[in-house]
Amino acid sequence: MTGARVMNGASPLASLTVVELAQSPAGEQTGKCIADLGAHVQKVEPPGGVASRHTGPWAHGQEDPDQSLEFWAYNSSKNSRVIDGSSEEDRLRFAELLADAQVLIVEDRGWLLELGVDLDELLVQRPDLIVVSVTPFGLTGPWKDYRTSDLVALAAGGTLNSCGYDDHSIPPIRPGGNQGFQLGASFSWCGLLLALIERERTGRGQLVDVSVHESNAVSGELANPYWFYPKAIVQRQTCRHAQPEPTQPALFECGDGNYVYFALILAEHKAWKSLLGWMTDLDMAADLTDPAYDEIAHRQQQFSHIQELIEVFFLIQDADTIYHEGQRRGLPIGRLNAFEDLPHDVHLQERGFFVDLPTPDGDTVTYPGLPYRFTSFQTAPGRPPRLGEHDEPARSAHSGGADHG
Amino acid sequence: MTHTTWTTKAPDQEIGSGDASRRPRARSGPLAGIKVADFCWMGVGAVATRLLADFGAEVIKIENRKRLDMPRRLPIYKGEVRSYGAEDPNPDPNKGGLFNNYSRNKLGITVDMADPRGRELVLELIDHCGVVTENFAPGVMERWNLTYPELREIRDDVIFARMSGYGHSGPQAHYRSYGPVVQAVSGLSFNSGLPGREPSGWGQSYMDNQAAYYNSAGLLLAIYQRMLTGQGTEVDVSAVEAGIGLLGSDLLDTVVNDRPSRREDYPRGNRLEHPTAAPHGVYPAAGDDQWIAIAVFKDQEWKTLRTVMSDPAWAGEARFATAADRVANADELDAALSAWTRDRDKHDLMHLLQGAGITAGAVQNSRDLAEHDPQIAARGTFFELDHPVIGPALFEGFPGQFGTSKPDHWRSAPLLGEDNDYVFGELLGRDRATLDRLSAEGVI
Repeated sequence: MTGARVMNGASPLASLTVVELAQSPAGEQTGKCIADLGAHVQKVEPPGGVASRHTGPWAHGQEDPDQSLEFWAYNSSKNSRVIDGSSEEDRLRFAELLADAQVLIVEDRGWLLELGVDLDELLVQRPDLIVVSVTPFGLTGPWKDYRTSDLVALAAGGTLNSCGYDDHSIPPIRPGGNQGFQLGASFSWCGLLLALIERERTGRGQLVDVSVHESNAVSGELANPYWFYPKAIVQRQTCRHAQPEPTQPALFECGDGNYVYFALILAEHKAWKSLLGWMTDLDMAADLTDPAYDEIAHRQQQFSHIQELIEVFFLIQDADTIYHEGQRRGLPIGRLNAFEDLPHDVHLQERGFFVDLPTPDGDTVTYPGLPYRFTSFQTAPGRPPRLGEHDEPARSAHSGGADHG
Repeated sequence: MTHTTWTTKAPDQEIGSGDASRRPRARSGPLAGIKVADFCWMGVGAVATRLLADFGAEVIKIENRKRLDMPRRLPIYKGEVRSYGAEDPNPDPNKGGLFNNYSRNKLGITVDMADPRGRELVLELIDHCGVVTENFAPGVMERWNLTYPELREIRDDVIFARMSGYGHSGPQAHYRSYGPVVQAVSGLSFNSGLPGREPSGWGQSYMDNQAAYYNSAGLLLAIYQRMLTGQGTEVDVSAVEAGIGLLGSDLLDTVVNDRPSRREDYPRGNRLEHPTAAPHGVYPAAGDDQWIAIAVFKDQEWKTLRTVMSDPAWAGEARFATAADRVANADELDAALSAWTRDRDKHDLMHLLQGAGITAGAVQNSRDLAEHDPQIAARGTFFELDHPVIGPALFEGFPGQFGTSKPDHWRSAPLLGEDNDYVFGELLGRDRATLDRLSAEGVI
């Protein structure tokens, strides 16, 4: 069965039916967010499947639309319905599907038109419908027809300007994981919920027109305030905050070749004492025990010396030890986990974060669960659908709710 | 609840702040009527509740004069360029630009929770609001005896939204975190960088924003559920788990296929393994440290790019003929393309390429976004509000447009304790003399 697995309680989205026309992580993740929490998401696909089904990596190397990990990443808990816009019968099926839905997620109104539906007319005909449009630059404005990709979204939206290395002969570096699209998805998901709340109060639906570009442009953290207030442009620095001026490195290589992130703020006396105690315990404090270092001003003068000693201190230990011992001593240190580390993390294990997700083949794989723990209800992701899996017997299954478990 | 210590305000007494334009008023938007007792501070919590305040909720930010919220202290001031670490030793709490950005549209009160009279006021406020939000280190709300079961004794339908780095269960729940630590632990720093070098990670607290957006969604879902059922809930959101959820198919490649992420060709910098794309990268443009991103996915796009470049001889070489060829010779391809982009203005190039149907974007900085981006301007993404100390300033709005659910931007961030009189006086009914006494004794 696809559909979110209900662990306890009743999802407030359980009575919500959504039609999704999406093939980038922006729209697909929007649908996934509500599908994993219990909404019935009908993913409409063209014959052959959406683009993400044709994008690797592939489960166990099988290049097959049902084995795309790119598709699995953003399409858990959904139903799949293949609808061919060139078929009159299929366009009728789409109209019926839409008639049953309370929400439409759409990335490309041209695709919607191919399925026989004009967006503007739809909004007039269905005043109760919530349409979440998530597009590269939004539906209006001088750049509305411009194209995007994850890299281009991060670039034009400003995030990329903050990311990369101290060495500025190297271009800005794209952070991994389709984050440019993910930012669009986060706002689409919030916009959808705001529209649901409004509809609950007024009975009216509406168009929510989310722009991936704008989603990036409002998510640069300090970068915009630094321009809005002191008119400063932040400069990228290796694995730490872009700032108007260079700051000390915060990434430390450890004895086992892994890295930890630790930004020592010299003005924080408690953190300084904690670090000093730790270094003393391992006989690595050297001259830092000199009472002169009790003064912030002296520490600031000697920052590069302190930094060198910390580098050596971390280089003689492994990252795991530093992470847990540092945290035990109250220091905000993070180990740079690689992906293979995550399922072994005892904290995540105890919280039951990763779930065993059934695959279309009847196998199970490790899959990230939800970051939410609601006391009133709890769901877990259901498996991604096979291409066209819910085409037949679509209507009877829908009416009985039997295709969700 | 009973209130034995304090007399209530007489109806004819005038309580309120001096500037009439800043006085709390009825709000519009889908969340009008929702009231939030907001203990959130720093970045992730403040951004999470900002969305609620933007769309009409009365978000009452609870602060402590003895421990200023860090964004009030951070030296992002008009006319003074300081780095994040170069903190002002004696900050004006009403001057911080980051606080203004995070707390617009919210009310601000100050209260000392260590004083029983302060606690009494807060319990009453929770009863009044029915939504409680917090992002303290785990243990703080417990020390104040403000756990979900205890909050339910005040109001059975209470919504209690908890936002932390690691979530409120498990052996590392008490670990200290902020954006970069969450990014490190979740894998979001490891997957960013050039192969063979140290990770370049993130140049910002990305997870302060992304976890905040997930927290906003959790809160909205809880509010929606209460509208449908009358039932409240506790929602506990882990930023590390939200971060892992953002890793995408690279994570699955490791956990499903057992393909190590610690390998020589990973992470890939600006190049893609899936789908096949070349050129795909960030190329130099005219000026100091100016760049343009170009992404070519299809052969037709490559043909178009050749045409736009007036078909230079190098582009016609066999080693760049197919996508596979271009990927195999990406170093040479990038060098040749860089020579073409290097002396061109990044915006001119973006428009030239986009006009031809090629996916490209100038690497924009914040000045570009605020002053040169016609799309941001046309869509009104940034908007301006006045502030009594800071003066007029820009803000980052919701990155989209609604048919009816308009945001209601009514006021810049509260001055420290600006709404004490309104909240403790008008909403909770304390009279002028009581407010003066509480203020003089440092309770509020």
